[in-house]
Amino acid sequence: MRHTLVLATGLLTILLTACGSSEPPEVVEKIVVREPGAPVPAPAANATLADAANASGAAGSLDMVALGEEAFQACTGCHNAKAGAPNMAGPNLYGVVGRAAGAVDGYSYSDALAGSGITWDFATLDRYLANPSGYVPGTDMVAGAVRDGERRAAIVAYLASTSE
Amino acid sequence: MAKFILNGQPVELEADPAMPVLWVVREKLGLNGTKFGCGIAQCGACTVHLDGQPVRSCSLPVSEAEGRTITTIEGVNGPEGELSAIQRAWISEQVPQCGYCQSGQIMAATALLRDNPAPNDEDIDAAMSGNVCRCGTYTRIRRAIKVASGQLEATGEEV
Amino acid sequence: MNDMTPDANETDTKKERSALAKWSRRGFIGAGVLAGGGLLIGIGVRSGNPVGSLAPKVAGAGEQLVNSWVKIDPENIVTAIVPHCEMGQGVHSVLAQMLADELDADWSKVRVMQAPTDGSYIVTDTARMFLAPFTMNAADWIEPTWDGLFTQLGRAADALITGGSSSIRSTGQYQMRVAGAAARKMLVGAAADAWGVPASEIETRDSTLMHKASGESAPYAEFASAAAEQPLDQTPDFKTPDQYRLIGKSAARTDIPSKVDGTANFGLDAAPEGLDLSYAATVRPPVPGTRVASMNPARAKTMPGVLQILNMGDFVAVVADSYWQAQQALGAIDIEWTPSDSPIKTTQDQFAAFAKSLDEAGETGGEEVAAKGNVADAFEAASTLIDAEYKAPYLAHAPMEPINCTALVKDGKCDVWTSTQVPLMVRSAIAEGTGIAKDDITVHHPYLGGSFGRRLEAVFATMAVRIAKETGYPVKSVWSREEDTQKALYRPADTSRFRAGLDGDGALIAYDNVFTQRHDPAEAHVPGIYAIPNTSVRHAAAPLHLPFAAWRSVDHSQQGWFIESFIDEVAHEAGADPYEYRLAMLKDAPRQAAVLKKVAEMSKWSAPRAEGTAKGIAIVESFGTIVAEVIEVDMTAGKPKMTGIWAAADAGFVVNPDGFRNQIEGGIVYALTAAMFGELDLADGAIKQSNFHDYKMLRMKDVPEITVAIINSGDVPTGGAGEPGVPPAAPALTNAIFAATGQRLRELPIAKQFA
Repeated sequence: MRHTLVLATGLLTILLTACGSSEPPEVVEKIVVREPGAPVPAPAANATLADAANASGAAGSLDMVALGEEAFQACTGCHNAKAGAPNMAGPNLYGVVGRAAGAVDGYSYSDALAGSGITWDFATLDRYLANPSGYVPGTDMVAGAVRDGERRAAIVAYLASTSE
Repeated sequence: MAKFILNGQPVELEADPAMPVLWVVREKLGLNGTKFGCGIAQCGACTVHLDGQPVRSCSLPVSEAEGRTITTIEGVNGPEGELSAIQRAWISEQVPQCGYCQSGQIMAATALLRDNPAPNDEDIDAAMSGNVCRCGTYTRIRRAIKVASGQLEATGEEV
Repeated sequence: MNDMTPDANETDTKKERSALAKWSRRGFIGAGVLAGGGLLIGIGVRSGNPVGSLAPKVAGAGEQLVNSWVKIDPENIVTAIVPHCEMGQGVHSVLAQMLADELDADWSKVRVMQAPTDGSYIVTDTARMFLAPFTMNAADWIEPTWDGLFTQLGRAADALITGGSSSIRSTGQYQMRVAGAAARKMLVGAAADAWGVPASEIETRDSTLMHKASGESAPYAEFASAAAEQPLDQTPDFKTPDQYRLIGKSAARTDIPSKVDGTANFGLDAAPEGLDLSYAATVRPPVPGTRVASMNPARAKTMPGVLQILNMGDFVAVVADSYWQAQQALGAIDIEWTPSDSPIKTTQDQFAAFAKSLDEAGETGGEEVAAKGNVADAFEAASTLIDAEYKAPYLAHAPMEPINCTALVKDGKCDVWTSTQVPLMVRSAIAEGTGIAKDDITVHHPYLGGSFGRRLEAVFATMAVRIAKETGYPVKSVWSREEDTQKALYRPADTSRFRAGLDGDGALIAYDNVFTQRHDPAEAHVPGIYAIPNTSVRHAAAPLHLPFAAWRSVDHSQQGWFIESFIDEVAHEAGADPYEYRLAMLKDAPRQAAVLKKVAEMSKWSAPRAEGTAKGIAIVESFGTIVAEVIEVDMTAGKPKMTGIWAAADAGFVVNPDGFRNQIEGGIVYALTAAMFGELDLADGAIKQSNFHDYKMLRMKDVPEITVAIINSGDVPTGGAGEPGVPPAAPALTNAIFAATGQRLRELPIAKQFA
């Protein structure tokens, strides 16, 4: 039996379910990756940002991209970089390298960024990421500065890879 | 291994370098005064000081704090643990309602008054408008900042 | 032990049997000695409530103890045990203030304890005030019957609730003051026996007993144990207003110091001793009524910190070493959802559904909400007819503290720590959702980081317990801001259609209104304060795509704006000043008229206005409190900038003026945030807005000074504080914009109309 009692007015509009007899729901799919406290499996590659930056050739830049993707996790509260994904608090960064600043459809940019005249390349992105409001005073990007040059380079390498 | 100075104490811990300082201080270091509000640097509930500057710790990867100094609400008291002038003004003006945003508000106000000992309304609005208060205590915060900076008398208690 | 006859107090004189004294007549009182020699006073509501069971009950045992409110410890600390939750409204402190005044306690030595949530504590009088307000001051002979009935009802209904702007006028007035006054009388009795002096010669002040003639003096603590042996007066006299030391004063709130140094404990801060927590992030279906069809967790499985990934059918959860890691991994799971069968996919669909119902109701159809006179005849006779249609959007509550619950399930028992307005309903919901017996569930509820109605539901607690049960880990489950914005319950959207008839002098002689959303309170839909001879208010029900929730002031939140905007239109159409026009319609409502006059005077309503600026006015009575507001707006930049806000309020009698002002100020900012920016849009059945960047908030730069005046028209609190500041704010603002620009806003939010 399921019956409801409405406590008459105001915030007391609560539908109470008393005498519930429905079975508790069952889990549909359960994937156990690791027990709490169990050691974290070692990552496949032990490359560091410095290794990647020092490496040359295709393998090196792939490492940079991989490390950049990892570093980009810090940005994913506001941005994604997947083709066709919606804008979040910040614009979608898929294909940002080579694009004019303030060009993503449907995203409401600050006047400062929209009117900046910047075209995003490795140098301008590096400068912006180092200090967003220093480079573009008035930008809405109030967080997300990346102080470490190698980390910036990796993030930009990852962003560049999304448009390739 | 992440290393930084937290409220005057050196800290070393294992953390994902991309993990925001907010979650490092709350979950790994047990300092719960810094609050999660939006996760995208829009509300200011997570405001801490990084090398003295107010920043949004929800969007500050711990790698960015490497070797730097972080101050949280737990670190703004005086040397004997006494409340700061700002905290005292928050009490005299009975600012908080739910109180959830107030750690962030106090961190923002602390940075403001350090740089500008006698801010006017416009200065206060500019410095504090990154911090949302859903309970709507803005007018009291404005007043408390003026009390803390000696521009207004503290409101007396009736009992 | 207790004499249950209603007129037990033989000393009652007719004069003393005033309304105040009568309000104290609530069941009867029990007391007991706590471990350590403290005194505990309780108010039981049923006859035969054994005194001896009180103390062990508060210590967590026993069954019969209900509503125990005060204890005194050997250090002379008075602790008020408060049943309501503290979500920013200051109720912990103000209820303690009411108790402490009657007890003559030293305010600096008063503490507050959150009542436990094992079912022994309920808010009988809050439930009763809403269910059957006509019984609140019942005749003596029937009072015990009502009291017992509502206690039983309240217990069955898990009525440990905070809401309805009700705590002071129900629990405070009917229970806390009684407990304080009774405790004082018992302490006096114990001291009189010990000192061998008449009780009538003993004075109390600042938690101290004094006998001037003999020079005897002692702290309450000294007589705490002996007091527990004293007879219990079930109808102690209340102080008269001239005797108040705390009531009516702006006593500093007890919870504020912990809220300026970061030590205040909110639900999200739960750190139960000895538990090594894991953290859960969850995602529910974007469209109400749909479920998880499938998920692809391949990428999430490889991400740092991940422990478990769960498809729970109605949501997907990732459990990880850190909340942030759980949220990151959750975002990497591709989830397919089942299709929705809701015909409403877009905002336009929703308003089309409203229009359909309203069209069907036509000029006379729908369910009658209020009717007076003969509207049809009056429209015939009217010299002017005015029609208008208003639309209000869906709104989210968006409290600062995101939704969360920490859960431990072990050996068939369950503990949860969560921010909630309804801890016992949370317990029942968990029992129903998990199969764990109610008695094996303990709900701990620390401070709430705002709520505004948001935490009246319990699904998040049930989800957390299901995760804890499935994983076997103690889990802190946190909703992202995006989840809270998009997967909650909402202030409903609505459309409201009006017709007014004016006579040749411009007087409003006929008023017809039809709308689709009717929840609570009943009086929210009617322009009841105004003298309008012919009135018809109708409800033409229409389906909502998003689930309904009480949102600070509930139906008043949209109805206040509808009605007070339309009344303003009528006033302007009549060629009258909108303040004078309202005042004329309040000729039989002196309290309302006084409030309106006060706000006009405070805001210098009639003073000349600077170019491009104007003021708007509105008055709404809600939750027992009459509030009128004036907002001044500067339109010189082509968009509204508020430059001044004034409010006058009559809540009968205000217990803590500064706390009351803080609530009115907060209600105004909350309402104006919604009026300026608040809107949830639907696309494909899901909410588009997600976080504070697209569900925008008023910020400090947007909020001018707010001046609040309090009118105490009586000497008991008859109205609330938390909600009544909300309803007049939006219409005062849009009325000001009209006055400045001639542009009548019939849709919200405001800002996008001036973008």
